Amino acid sequence: MLEVTNLSAGYGKVEVLHGLSIRIKPGQLVTLIGSNGAGKTTTLRALSGMIQPTAGSIKLRDTEIAGLNTHQVTKLGLAHSPEGRRVFSTLSVRDNLELGAFPRLTGARPKGDVQADIKRMFDMFPRLGERRDQLAGTLSGGEQQMLAMGRALMLNPDVLLLDEPSMGLAPKLVEDVFKTIRTLKQAKTTMLLVEQFAAAALDVADYGYVLENGRLSTEGEASKLRDDPAVKAAYLGQAH
Amino acid sequence: MDILAQLVVSGITVGMIYAVIAFGYQLTFATSETLNFGQGEALMVGALVGLTTINFLIGLNLGTLSAYLLMLPVIMAFGLLQGSIVEFLGVRKAIAIKSEAGWIMATIAIGIIIKNLAENIWGRDALKFPSPLAEASLQIGPVRIQPMEIAIVVGALLLMLAVELFNRRSIYGKAVVATANDRDAAGLMGINTKSVITFSYALSSMAAAFAGVLVAPITLTGASMGAVLGLKAFAVAIIGGLSSGIGLIVGGLILGITENLTGYYISSGYKDVPGLVLLLLVLSLKPSGLFGKATIKKV
Ligand SMILES: Nc1ncnc2c1ncn2[C@@H]1O[C@H](COP(=O)(O)OP(=O)(O)OP(=O)(O)O)[C@@H](O)[C@H]1O
Ligand SMILES: [Mg+2]
Repeated sequence: MLEVTNLSAGYGKVEVLHGLSIRIKPGQLVTLIGSNGAGKTTTLRALSGMIQPTAGSIKLRDTEIAGLNTHQVTKLGLAHSPEGRRVFSTLSVRDNLELGAFPRLTGARPKGDVQADIKRMFDMFPRLGERRDQLAGTLSGGEQQMLAMGRALMLNPDVLLLDEPSMGLAPKLVEDVFKTIRTLKQAKTTMLLVEQFAAAALDVADYGYVLENGRLSTEGEASKLRDDPAVKAAYLGQAH
Repeated sequence: MDILAQLVVSGITVGMIYAVIAFGYQLTFATSETLNFGQGEALMVGALVGLTTINFLIGLNLGTLSAYLLMLPVIMAFGLLQGSIVEFLGVRKAIAIKSEAGWIMATIAIGIIIKNLAENIWGRDALKFPSPLAEASLQIGPVRIQPMEIAIVVGALLLMLAVELFNRRSIYGKAVVATANDRDAAGLMGINTKSVITFSYALSSMAAAFAGVLVAPITLTGASMGAVLGLKAFAVAIIGGLSSGIGLIVGGLILGITENLTGYYISSGYKDVPGLVLLLLVLSLKPSGLFGKATIKKV
């Protein structure tokens, strides 16, 4: 579904990612773990065209998307729920969700039933349903996170990138986020999950990659990575 | 007392024109944090193209009112085109390289070029713009009002309302608001934010051109009509705040009315002083504008 080969990218002259290769099969949940500053967010930004890769290839289904602009990548079916939520604060919860379906509403992707999908989001996140007319900027952090995920799902994406959906949330809400991710996985959503809670991420994921200073150091079945002594020592000590 | 009321009423008319031009500043500032400093020239060239168009239509034996109404879509289309060109030539590159000042110089330069072109095409003299409505004033209570002055207020409000409705109701309008909120996140929604910025420049010049043909029948038209209006509207945008629609109307009215009052009660030589004093006061006491939200810097 998504095939990344030798991807390099950075900011200005500073290269942050040095030749990553990542593969996500249809319906698979892949997680990317690594310490602060390893380049996880940068990886997702390069995938969705928010920064331009300096080398390498990114294939979404069979289409080369490296070098495209963000809006073009989105229209091809890659949704990205960015780090820090980034909801549209002066728009209502409903409008935020509707904007997630912008390519569907403007003919760039198959339309389907947008209103029914908004309702589906309200079923999945009842708190959003209760606050549908509230401005997104007035939501709590947890609610904004749900909105950011719901908004990305409104694309009916082929691949969903999630950047630290649990960031800054209370433990109870972190659990909710992971419950949602499990639900999405059961619905066969293809996902790339970046998480600080490496243990929890490896629990839900099928496959995992470990990123160290812009290079992949280890990869494997998530269940195997969880038991890998090196991974355990480096990433599974602190959280959970 | 009657004179006071009269001065206030004509101050409102001018104030609404300021508000429409300032609204144009606000449109581009919201999406791109840049402004078209040639906004006054966009108004001027819109009015002059409007003048040529309406005279042409009147030449076809149309009545002045029908000619005026037919001219409106023409100058609005012209404004849209003119604004897109300004964005394309003067702003796009500056935004791409995150230049702090490039767009300021570029939009001022384009404004000067437009003014020179206008002087060569239409001459330097002020020209009379045919009035679509009766020019005789109506006596309403203590004040005399020209029908065109009422049309200015109504037209200005309608234009701002139409844009506001578009922003709130249509998916494209919401895309504009989303771009204003967070450009990167808007891109992630599949919104082409570069086009949105071009569009906001187009809309901004359209508002200016519309303001131009609104005011033209009660003033005169000419290559030099834009500069002062553009500058005053800039003051209104600062006074009212670049983020508040209501602020612009209030700011416009404050400026329009105080100008008129000062001009009459003190001296027409001091007409421009109170507005500028107010501008300086706002800048030093509440830089985000009377109605502006303080900008929250993201960490
Ligand atoms: N906008 C930027 N400009 C310049 N350098 C940046 C920018 N964003 C990130 N970097 C640098 O790129 C490197 C990788 O950052 P990135 O945000 O991808 O890390 P991360 O793995 O997501 O970390 P975290 O777990 O803290 O979110 C860091 O050294 C960071 O300082
Ligand atoms: Mg990160």
